[in-house]
Amino acid sequence: MKGSPVRVRWPDGLPELRLAAAARTFRSLAAQLAASGRPLNTRCGQRGICAGCTVKLVAGAFRHENGDVIAAPADVKACQGQALAGSGTVVEVPARSVVVHQPQVATTFKVNVASAQDPIVRYSAGACSHGLAIDVGTTTVVVALVDLASGEIVGEASGFNRQIEMGEDVITRIQLAGSPGQLQSLHRAIVESTLMPLVHDVCRDNGVAPGRLGCATVAGNTTMLHLLTRTDPTPMGFSPFRAPFLGHRALRAADLGLGVVPPAMPVHLLPGFSAYVGADLVAGSLCTGLMDEPGPSLLVDIGTNGEILLRRGENLYATATAAGPAFEGGRLECGTRAVAGAVEHVTLPGGVFPAVVDVVPGKPQAAGLCGSAYVDFLAEARRCGLIGAQGRLEPTAWAGVPQAHRHEVGANRGIRLRPGDPTTVVTEADIAHLLQAKAAIAAGIQMLLRRARCEPGAVRKLYLAGGFGLHLNVSNAIACGLLPGFSPKQVDVVGNTSLGGAWLALVDSTVLPEMSQASTRAEVVELNLEPGFEEAFIDQLSLP
Amino acid sequence: MTTLEQLSEAVGIGKAKDAKVLTQRALDEGIRPGDIVERALVPAMADVGERFKRNDIFVPEMLIAARAMKEAMGILEPHLVAAGITPKYTAVIGTAQGDLHDIGKNLVAIMWRGANFRVVDLGTNVTPAAFVAAIEEHKPHLVGLSALLTTTMPAVADTVRAIRASGCPPVKVMVGGAPITQQFASEIGADGYAPDAGSAVDKARALVGAA
Repeated sequence: MKGSPVRVRWPDGLPELRLAAAARTFRSLAAQLAASGRPLNTRCGQRGICAGCTVKLVAGAFRHENGDVIAAPADVKACQGQALAGSGTVVEVPARSVVVHQPQVATTFKVNVASAQDPIVRYSAGACSHGLAIDVGTTTVVVALVDLASGEIVGEASGFNRQIEMGEDVITRIQLAGSPGQLQSLHRAIVESTLMPLVHDVCRDNGVAPGRLGCATVAGNTTMLHLLTRTDPTPMGFSPFRAPFLGHRALRAADLGLGVVPPAMPVHLLPGFSAYVGADLVAGSLCTGLMDEPGPSLLVDIGTNGEILLRRGENLYATATAAGPAFEGGRLECGTRAVAGAVEHVTLPGGVFPAVVDVVPGKPQAAGLCGSAYVDFLAEARRCGLIGAQGRLEPTAWAGVPQAHRHEVGANRGIRLRPGDPTTVVTEADIAHLLQAKAAIAAGIQMLLRRARCEPGAVRKLYLAGGFGLHLNVSNAIACGLLPGFSPKQVDVVGNTSLGGAWLALVDSTVLPEMSQASTRAEVVELNLEPGFEEAFIDQLSLP
Repeated sequence: MTTLEQLSEAVGIGKAKDAKVLTQRALDEGIRPGDIVERALVPAMADVGERFKRNDIFVPEMLIAARAMKEAMGILEPHLVAAGITPKYTAVIGTAQGDLHDIGKNLVAIMWRGANFRVVDLGTNVTPAAFVAAIEEHKPHLVGLSALLTTTMPAVADTVRAIRASGCPPVKVMVGGAPITQQFASEIGADGYAPDAGSAVDKARALVGAA
């Protein structure tokens, strides 16, 4: 036995690896394996925070870096110690501990962590070849079709949540659900009128028979998950905003009335933090890597409700802030979602008209301006002196605006970005809505930082997620005061991390248990009860 | 411009720091605190309300102006109390049970102060019983009740019912908040409704007979 190497058994028919005794300097088993070209799923950067590199100690012994010697059989984190050579040590690496997916940029989101290719259902070529990662938003629903053999996203379909026709925001829908028969109608709207057509389309467009779907993971805000499962959300409608359920739920398609797919197909609802900080944010916390780093880090997810999560050391703080639909184009003169044909970027070079605009590429589906264009406009117009700190068109600048760029309806004035084009108008009333939306988010960030006794400058990373997608101009977001006190190098634009987290939970079976653990850890802050929130909100109503 | 004119202007455009300094200067100049309220703050807030109703200013500007008004009142209040000056009318205000959103309610409270009401603010998530108790204690002319969430509208109705059934001194009840409508106000037996903080002042004055 003396000097015998450590034998490491590998999944998927890869040959066994033999590791000689480790050098005198301490090097973890995970580091040794990585050096041998067999990296483990160390998404937390080998800090022992996640369970991604857990391996089975089948025989022999493992010495933890704290000096403890662990005898077989045991599960050990490979980043936390060395397998002892010379003791007949055998280590078995399960599929879930092998890194296959590197951090990547997908269609509408970024995944900042590595992951294993070990889906939560067993792959089978005929009956269980694909899965679905689903994000149920208040406004938009996205279904991603995932090849379970490779983990690749082979296609995506998205559309409006058809519940919109019954109520624009979550509160309206919660109230409606309390009326006789309406919970059923809301449930039908999301399942039959929204999800089933999207699942049907994404399967058809990618040549996958729906009978081959093996599993689905679903992220979304807490209200949406309640309506999806026909659970009465009434207690979430008033203080103390209790959610009937928050934990991970494993259901079958038939339980949801979800047709098109096999009735017995497992559907996993991701866990949420609270009634207003939902599974969408838990998903984002894993997808961005926030849960696997000491921070301080922030995740700011901008939707109709802005959701904010702050990590500082072992502490997590979460809050929701009523931003309203302005950054998704809602209630604005020419606002629209970020669909093909919509203006997504605006520059006013030196304040000279016409403005330079970029539209979302593709076959035009809509005319108008999407959230990122409004962010650009606020920043650019303020920079060149077209608008003042309160968002008003400055009299001298207005006098110089060419007639074809002026928009005047009664007392409501605005700017036509393209000469004579009524679909590219930004009015003073629009700006007032945007200022309230950005102030709600900015003040929410400030309150969480204050709670954690943390300064913006000390934040290592701010992950900016949401419907803006991946194309938001960070400098402009900062210039318009959305992220007070931050600098562009701190900000990582990550897109729809709710969908990203759903994908991660689908392809890597270690992720969902970690989400469950994370979801119980956050201290939820109710902004309306925070002293100083109103003060901060009013401060943030001005443009920097 | 006189100090009072400057103060009025600073409040109107929401310069909170200037409003504080100018209020102090007015006191230092020997102007009576009651006159500072009557001749600078009341007209400033009346003008803010008017401009808001005309769509000349929007919610952000109104909130910023209201904060300047609050700063000025913060300096004046001890002087007003010392001088034994109490406004003619008293109002009690709060958000409905279950509702924690108070930025709109706070705005109305400041606008009412600006219209020279004494305002007793009960805060947020106020039970019907707490409203009734406050009415008995303060004997107000007016009660203001708000809800931002559609889901807390039933609590508004419950509160109005509780006030009517309580046998406490007669009082006018006014309701408001984003989901509230005149129709809802009439249905639940409220005396008045205002769609925004600007018109809430006119309505309040009309209800107490001060208009």
